[in-house]
Amino acid sequence: MARDNIFVGLEIGTTKVCVVVAEARHDNTLKILGVGNAPSRGIRKGELVDFETAKRCVHDAIVDAEERSDVEISEVYLGISGGHIRSFNNRGIVLLEEGREEIDEQDLEDVRTNAREVSLPMEDCVLHTIIQHYYVDGQDGVLNPLGLFGKKLEADFHIVYGIRTRIQNAIRCVKELELETADVVINSFATAQAVLDKNHKQQGALVIDIGGGTADFVVYVEGAVKQSGVIAVGGDHITNDLSIGLKIPSARAEKLKIEEGDVTLGNAFPGETIVLRDETGFAGREIERETFNQIIHCRVREIFEIVARQVDADQNLNYLGAGVFVTGGSSQLRGIEHLASEVFGLPSRITAPLPLAGVTSAFEHPQFSTAIGLVRYAHLVHMDRPMARGILSRTMKRLSGIFRT
Amino acid sequence: MVQLNRQYGREETNRETRKIRVIGVGGAGSNILDRALLDGIDHVELTTANTDVQSLTGSVANQKIQLGRNLTRGLGSGGDPELGLAAAEESYEEIQSVVAGCDIVFVCAGLGGGTGSGAAPFIAKLAKEAGALALVLVTMPFTFEGRRRCAQAAASLQLIRENSDAVVCFENDRMAELTLPRMGIHEAFSAADVTISQSIRAIANLLLQPGLIRLGFDDICSVLRDGDARALFGFGEADGENRAHDALVKSLRNPLMHRGEMLANATNVIVQIRGSANVTLGEVGIVMEELNRHVSDRTQLMMGIAIDGTMGSRLSVSIISSSGDSSDRPLKTEVYPALQEPARLEPVPAQPASESVITLRLEDERPANGATLDPVQHLEPAETRAPIEARAPARASIEARAPKKEAVKEADPSDKPAPKTIEARQEVLQFDAVSRGRFEKSEPTIIDGQDLDVPTFLRRRVKGGLV
Repeated sequence: MARDNIFVGLEIGTTKVCVVVAEARHDNTLKILGVGNAPSRGIRKGELVDFETAKRCVHDAIVDAEERSDVEISEVYLGISGGHIRSFNNRGIVLLEEGREEIDEQDLEDVRTNAREVSLPMEDCVLHTIIQHYYVDGQDGVLNPLGLFGKKLEADFHIVYGIRTRIQNAIRCVKELELETADVVINSFATAQAVLDKNHKQQGALVIDIGGGTADFVVYVEGAVKQSGVIAVGGDHITNDLSIGLKIPSARAEKLKIEEGDVTLGNAFPGETIVLRDETGFAGREIERETFNQIIHCRVREIFEIVARQVDADQNLNYLGAGVFVTGGSSQLRGIEHLASEVFGLPSRITAPLPLAGVTSAFEHPQFSTAIGLVRYAHLVHMDRPMARGILSRTMKRLSGIFRT
Repeated sequence: MVQLNRQYGREETNRETRKIRVIGVGGAGSNILDRALLDGIDHVELTTANTDVQSLTGSVANQKIQLGRNLTRGLGSGGDPELGLAAAEESYEEIQSVVAGCDIVFVCAGLGGGTGSGAAPFIAKLAKEAGALALVLVTMPFTFEGRRRCAQAAASLQLIRENSDAVVCFENDRMAELTLPRMGIHEAFSAADVTISQSIRAIANLLLQPGLIRLGFDDICSVLRDGDARALFGFGEADGENRAHDALVKSLRNPLMHRGEMLANATNVIVQIRGSANVTLGEVGIVMEELNRHVSDRTQLMMGIAIDGTMGSRLSVSIISSSGDSSDRPLKTEVYPALQEPARLEPVPAQPASESVITLRLEDERPANGATLDPVQHLEPAETRAPIEARAPARASIEARAPKKEAVKEADPSDKPAPKTIEARQEVLQFDAVSRGRFEKSEPTIIDGQDLDVPTFLRRRVKGGLV
């Protein structure tokens, strides 16, 4: 009994599967009805590696969400991540035929199709084609060319693509649970919807979502998505580094990371140690805090540096007026915002999802950014729908509606 | 303070003929001796001293002293330190004759019982009186052995401190860290023996084996006599690509080092690197840089390099120091304490240590020819020869002017690198063999040619230290 105003976001993360059920209210605000959670297994670096196990986890999370929200879920917006996801910017050009000067919806669709016509590897498929800017007869800064007169319509798009089969795996996982996938959204976009407001997007912002298996980032410049990417390195790697560096089991390293994780260097006084306690609570080994911090520091710094290099390669670093937004589960590491500031040379902050109505306070936490972003995305799409006249324009509208703002 | 060795062709005279004697006191002491002997220890005389004849006959030492022949009549001291002391006093002359003429006397004992606790302080005192450097290596009982034994041990330790030059104290409780709790009790006890035997061996080797950069008796004296008579000791041996780092880490992991914490307060630290002829300048650089992070600015690091053909591809690092607060001491640029032996050993790597810069200077007959080698070239593994002038990469800079060293491979004691400045200041992490851990089986994430599944600190470390 899917209601038209119920949106469900499903994030199949490396550490947890998270399902957010939200309701759109009449005043166009969202209210969270319930959030379902399940620890995930069978996921590595944001991708399914054990289908059956992962499916069970998704099932658990869905059931949890249904119980909490008292809604029977039938359709989800699915978040996608993984190192295979790539993106680039491309410009599409459409010349209006003789005798016609008013740009119509068909032209907008054509320009989009034109931009997508690049040779991608056989196994890849396009996930998103996001409008950045329109140009009409070379005129810059056209927000909506529909109805304008012109002979030549150009448009810049941000195109995100990934390996088809891997995306299908996630979709199939949902399908086997008797659920429909309303849309597939890459995690970084979803996250941006949750943590950025219109102003941030306009001023220029970089959102880095460091999750368990991946670090997803997206760059907004002048209100448009300029760049996005996925680096298949996340909290799991930090745990692994600690496990190797300190020679402790992974589970212990994970716990230690969550309890003591800190990226600050030089803060520990010499000889300061962290005492590892065994299950019975007796003090066991001691670990030097500086070493501990340094292992985490190296890894997080490297993630930031890779992102910084990629963002800088496209010369976007100078346009990030609103600065850097760090979110995701791993943003809980102490001092991470200072490290981000240092690496990017920009004001940085840790952000949780922007407030929503409902039982939110518990979920205004960085680790729910993506899942909540998914329902925000769904909501934004939905808001555009009633105005739509046809399926094509609906697609157009919704994408322009989301990514222009 | 910097002594330059300008003598040529004095190879053979360089070999010290120091007389070293190891005396194992009591049951635990003779166990340590047995262990040392098993591990192989050359040019060292071993003596067992015990009240218990049965234990004495079982000992492998070539010289044995029965303590308190009349007092205990060949039985043990029954856990009574006073009886142990009385027994030792009875055998006063025998002990005196044994320690006479020795340069270094190691006294090994397990404290807590009768003979060890009672006799060890006395024997140490006699050794010291005989003019030897008396180093006492003792094990403290496990806490579970009871409060009485612990108290006896503590009292004895105090006596030993007063009567010896240095004490290396092995707490059995800490030894348990070396072994797993599930391991046999025998292993737990022998862990201490192994560590003690390593210490003895390392010090003996330090004195007896030819060194490229030699450390002498006086260095050890200055280090051990200067502290508050509590010695720190670390020994690590490793093989493989990162052997320099691994060996240092192992040596710092020694329970006696308290994970390097105690080093921070040490005034003098001796570090000896041993390996066969393939020890590279880069490896020495790594060890020294890393060690520098563990010591304070006031600490004087004394480096020794020994070339030992039997080491094969292994490399060992020994660290010897004594704890003492250096906080109220000025930067140590003055001469060694008066206690030191007349300076006659060269080269004496005593150097005005300023801040964390180690300066080692040695000169050889052949003048440096001033060519500059690219660090990448000359830091190749197994390439020791002729680092004419090298700047180590990144944050460490090693400048060395060295003679052409064809002779290195023959482990010639006279073979020395030339003036060297090692400026070590680098934040480096401990690391082991390159590993991807839990990502071993997953699809690799490679960005900009780097395998991101390998811990960052490992990759960066490799970058900073070896290239």
